Amino acid sequence: MAKKPLQQITTTLASMSSAIYILVIIGAISALGTLIPQGQAPDFYMQHYGGLTGRIITVLSLHRLYQAWWFLAMLLLLCLSILLCAVKRLRRTRSVLIFSSLIMHLAIILVLGGAAWSLGYGHSANIELAEGQSVSLAEFGFAPGQLTLDRFQIDYYPDYQPRQYSSLLSLQGYQGQDYHQEIAVNHPLKAGYLKIYQSSWGWMMQITTQAADGQSKSIALPDRSEYWLDQSRHLKLQAIFVPDLDETRPGINSLSPLPRNPHVLIALVEHDRVIGMNLLRAGESAQLGEYKFSLDGFSYYSGLNVKEDRGVYLVFTGFFLLLAGMLVRYLAENMVRKAA
Amino acid sequence: MENLFTDLVFILLLLLTAVNLFRLWTERDLSKISQLILWLTLAAIVAVIVVRTAAAGRVPFANLYEFALLFSCGILVFALWVRQGLDSSRLDLSVAVLLLIIIAISTTLPSELGPLMPALQSTWLHAHVATAVIAYGCFALAACLGVVALSRSQQTAPGLDEIENRIYRMVVLGFIFLTIVIITGAVWAEEVWGNWWSWDPKETWSLVTWLIYAAYLHARRSYGWKGRKSAWMVIIGFVIVMFTLFGVSILLPGLHSYL
Ligand code: HEM
Repeated sequence: MAKKPLQQITTTLASMSSAIYILVIIGAISALGTLIPQGQAPDFYMQHYGGLTGRIITVLSLHRLYQAWWFLAMLLLLCLSILLCAVKRLRRTRSVLIFSSLIMHLAIILVLGGAAWSLGYGHSANIELAEGQSVSLAEFGFAPGQLTLDRFQIDYYPDYQPRQYSSLLSLQGYQGQDYHQEIAVNHPLKAGYLKIYQSSWGWMMQITTQAADGQSKSIALPDRSEYWLDQSRHLKLQAIFVPDLDETRPGINSLSPLPRNPHVLIALVEHDRVIGMNLLRAGESAQLGEYKFSLDGFSYYSGLNVKEDRGVYLVFTGFFLLLAGMLVRYLAENMVRKAA
Repeated sequence: MENLFTDLVFILLLLLTAVNLFRLWTERDLSKISQLILWLTLAAIVAVIVVRTAAAGRVPFANLYEFALLFSCGILVFALWVRQGLDSSRLDLSVAVLLLIIIAISTTLPSELGPLMPALQSTWLHAHVATAVIAYGCFALAACLGVVALSRSQQTAPGLDEIENRIYRMVVLGFIFLTIVIITGAVWAEEVWGNWWSWDPKETWSLVTWLIYAAYLHARRSYGWKGRKSAWMVIIGFVIVMFTLFGVSILLPGLHSYL
């Protein structure tokens, strides 16, 4: 008797051979994604791979492979296969071996489900705060709360390799609670489902610019970044922080990363050509072209990664069940073998 | 001091290779001598690790060079365990050649004694690296046993079935530990970067190895894939492990490039 198409599909999906195919295919596709640089603009692929290969890559989304609908569909197929297998096996014997194996397999669905949850409902933002600066989390789409960077600090090894980056944070009125905590790499702040990570750092300079017409502006410029003074004339200001200027040698060299002899190198750039530069201490000013620049001060800024994501707890539960199921399954198998 | 012991390891491995090549031709039982050299090599590697730990003032878990040392140490421990009860010349020989390859690769890696960078200062590092040594050690021995199975005729005792059983047990142990490696890595990444999975090349290739060994376990169970097929599977699996370990770090740098 011929089976109905749907039934045929479910029988095929529940079979071990399709499970093996799915595992190997997902493995091969994942591997492929590491060989093609991910997440670049389409032009990048046209230039590096030539027109045809470049087009194939972008049309098949091989440049965003792990988010491509057909890759996600493969993962969904894996879940379906596991599920159908589980249903098939539940109808048969019920032993510790089968039960633990089921837990192990279903845990994989939980992990992928958690990942899907994070993708759909997770939310994160990168926030850069100078020492003393404060922001409202609501502006970044989180529950209301006032986040303040009280202090940022870098500890160094004797050879000036960074030992640890840490930020002293205050989080006020987040879901009715106040937090005051120092975070560091590997030690995020946890407030309910909200986590705040130490993710980057840098120097921030306070500079006042004064144009020829007397108009003045106060700007906060991160180290090694640029500020457009006049877009129409392609005129911009660049600033580089030199924490420990070596005054015994010509050129601009820093003896250490510590702010022992801090200077700021400012440059006025027109059409990518430097038309004037100067080395300033805090409080000093300089005339470059038609502009007068004053260095009012400088401070650290801390790059914080703020994240709210409940999916990760599903994922971790899945991890736990996967491991527990696996251990029980193989311990049981071992006992069965010893007994035989 | 460290270089002295590293040279010693190299010389012992050459000796081990020579002795076991000789064993392929001779009737004499040199198994005990081979075993002694394995123990001496293990002692020399442990000495390298101890000297390095003392010099750096921290556990040698910081870079790929140090992992290669731990990996070699793990392979030797598993080899001494697995070879029991086997006529072992081919196993010892494949272990010796594999270790020579790993040592050769490690000499091309940067081996400066740096301090631990902030991202590595975590207890998860210890769990992650220690379980990786066990997982990869198991897969290495499974592959060496695979070579033994392929190079052996049906008649030699113990039979292929016994070797096949040992391969299966090594893969199961390796698979459980690889699962722990991936899980500890993910939990750690969540703690340090706020992202438990980011498809970085090292992560992705560890997933690929996991999927390959899962496919092996399924195939073995349902199609009774044993003997030569299973031997080839574990050898291919281990080639992918080696790529994950060295190839990815050298050719496909990502977040993990320090390890
Ligand atoms: C990432 C996906 C998967 C992983 C990691 C995985 C893992 C495992 C492991 C470790 C075993 C034990 C094999 C042994 O040692 O003999 C097993 C067995 C089994 N798997 Fe999977 N599996 C996966 C997907 C699937 C899928 C999609 C199916 C559905 C067709 C399936 C069906 C089975 C069956 C029927 C067994 C035999 C029963 C048992 O030994 O418990 N598996 N699986």
